[in-house]
Amino acid sequence: MTQAFNRNPASFRDPAGFVFEKDGTIYRYISKSYKKQYLHLTESGLLNLLNKRQLLLPFTVASHIEHDSDCYAIIQPRPIPFLNYAWEWSFEQLRDAALTTLQICLTALEHQMILKDATHLNVQIIDGRAQFIDTLSFDFYKEGNEWIAYRQFCECFLNPLLLASYCGLEVHKMLRAWPEGIPAAITSSLLPFRSKLKLSVLLHVHLQAKVSSRKANATNENKKKHLSSAQLKNILLHLISCIEKLKYPEQTSIWSNYYKETILSQDYLLNKKEIISKWLSETNYKSAIDYGANNGEFSALCSKESFIVAADFDSRCIDELYVNLKNKSERNILPLILDLSQPSPSTGWNNEEHKTFLSRKKFDLGFALALIHHLSIGKNIPLKMIASLFADSVNQLIIEFVPKSDPKVADMLHHREDIFNDYTKEEFENEFSNYFVIFKKEIISGSERTLYFMNKRA
Amino acid sequence: MIQILYIDPGGGSYLIQVIIAAILGVAFYFKTGWNWVKSFFVKKQSEKSEEANDSGV
Repeated sequence: MTQAFNRNPASFRDPAGFVFEKDGTIYRYISKSYKKQYLHLTESGLLNLLNKRQLLLPFTVASHIEHDSDCYAIIQPRPIPFLNYAWEWSFEQLRDAALTTLQICLTALEHQMILKDATHLNVQIIDGRAQFIDTLSFDFYKEGNEWIAYRQFCECFLNPLLLASYCGLEVHKMLRAWPEGIPAAITSSLLPFRSKLKLSVLLHVHLQAKVSSRKANATNENKKKHLSSAQLKNILLHLISCIEKLKYPEQTSIWSNYYKETILSQDYLLNKKEIISKWLSETNYKSAIDYGANNGEFSALCSKESFIVAADFDSRCIDELYVNLKNKSERNILPLILDLSQPSPSTGWNNEEHKTFLSRKKFDLGFALALIHHLSIGKNIPLKMIASLFADSVNQLIIEFVPKSDPKVADMLHHREDIFNDYTKEEFENEFSNYFVIFKKEIISGSERTLYFMNKRA
Repeated sequence: MIQILYIDPGGGSYLIQVIIAAILGVAFYFKTGWNWVKSFFVKKQSEKSEEANDSGV
C-alpha cells in the first residue's frame, strides 16, 4: 500500500510511519496504528508546550497530500537546511542534543507520554540549537514501567560525553566508530578510576556495566518491582544535572587562536576581509559553505539572510564557534566538523541511511581560505583533485592560493622533501580553469597570497 | 557476554533503573537532611552576625 511513496532511505524501522519526499518537499506519513499516540500528543497540550519551548521541529498537517488506506495523517515538518549527524558534532552540540532529548522526555512524562527511543539521530542542530525531529517517538507511559530508551540514551549521549569530559576524547570520532552509541561496559573500562567517586558516573555507567553483563534471565528478577513516575522523573532530572555539570577539559589546539596569534598580520586579515566583503556584496547566493572555517570570522561576512555551513576539521574551533554563535543568537551559521580528506562516509543499511557530507547539498558559494596548502602539501592531494571536489560541491568559489614563498608553506616544507613541483600559482590557475572560470583575482596586502573568485563552468 | 547480544536493546535496563531510583531516593533523603543541618548552622551564623551588627550599632 505504501510503495507509491518515495520513502526516505533512513526511514523504515518504525511501523508508526515514515518520512517521504514529494516534489522536493519532505513529509511524514503517520499510519493508523499510531493514531491514538498522535492524537494524545497534539490534543493533550504536549505538542504546544514542546513548540513553545522550541524543543521539537514544528510541523503542519498536509491535508492536500493523497492518503492511502493505512494512513491516518500526513504532516509537513519545517525544512531542515542541512542534515547533520552526531559524527559531525562537537562536545557542546552533543550536550545540547542530550539535554533536548531529556527535556522532551520529562515534558512528555508530565502528559502521560514517554520517548520510546533516544538516539542522536532523532536530533538535528537547526537555527543554532538542538531540535528533536522524530514526531513518532512519543508513546504512552504506563505507571510502573521503566524508560525503555534509557540504555540507548546512555550509549548515544551520556557515555560519549563522559569519555570526552574525563579522557578528552572527541565525541564526533567516537560516534563515527560507534554510530549506535558506546556500550556501558566499554565506557566503564575506558573511564579513569576517579570517575567511580562520582555518584552519577558510578550509577549510570559502572553499575550499569555490571548489571547488563548479568545473564539475560536475571533481568526479569525484579520485574515485579514498581518504578513510579516520580522515581523515573528523578532519574531524568539526575541525568540532566549530571550532563549540565560536565566540563570539556580545556586544551588549546594549534588552530584555536589562529587569528589572534598564528595569522600573518593584521594588515593581511583586514585586507582579506575587505576584498571578500566587496565580492560578496556583488554576488547573489542563498547558501554557502566555508571549508576550514576556524572561528567563523569569514563565514560571518556572509549575508544574514543566507544559510552557511561553517566546517572545520578542528573540533575545538567548532565547539567555540557553536557556543559563540549561540550566545550571539546568530542562527544562520551551522558549525560542523569536517575533515575534507576524510569526509563523513555514507553509512547505515545498504549505505543509504546517512549520506556522505559532500553529497547532502550543493551550495551556491564556497570558501576555501588558507586551506589549499594544507590539502595539497599537507595531505599530498593533487590540485586537479581539489578543483574537481569543489566543482562538485559549489557553484561559485572564493579561494586563496598560498604560494611556496609564504612563511606557512615554508614551515610545512621545512622538515620534508619538496616533491610538489606542480604547486605553483600558474599550475593552480590552469587546473582550476578546467572546472571554473576565474573572473576576479586580487593579491592580499601584507602577504604573497592571492584571492580568486570563480564561477563553475556550465 | 554473548548472551546480552540477543536481548532487545531496551531490555535489561529495568533492573538498573530500579536500583538507580532506589539509590537516588536514599541520596535525596540524606541530601535533604544535610541541607536541613546546613541551614541550621547558616541560620545560626547569620543570626550571630546580625547580633554582632546590632551590638555594633
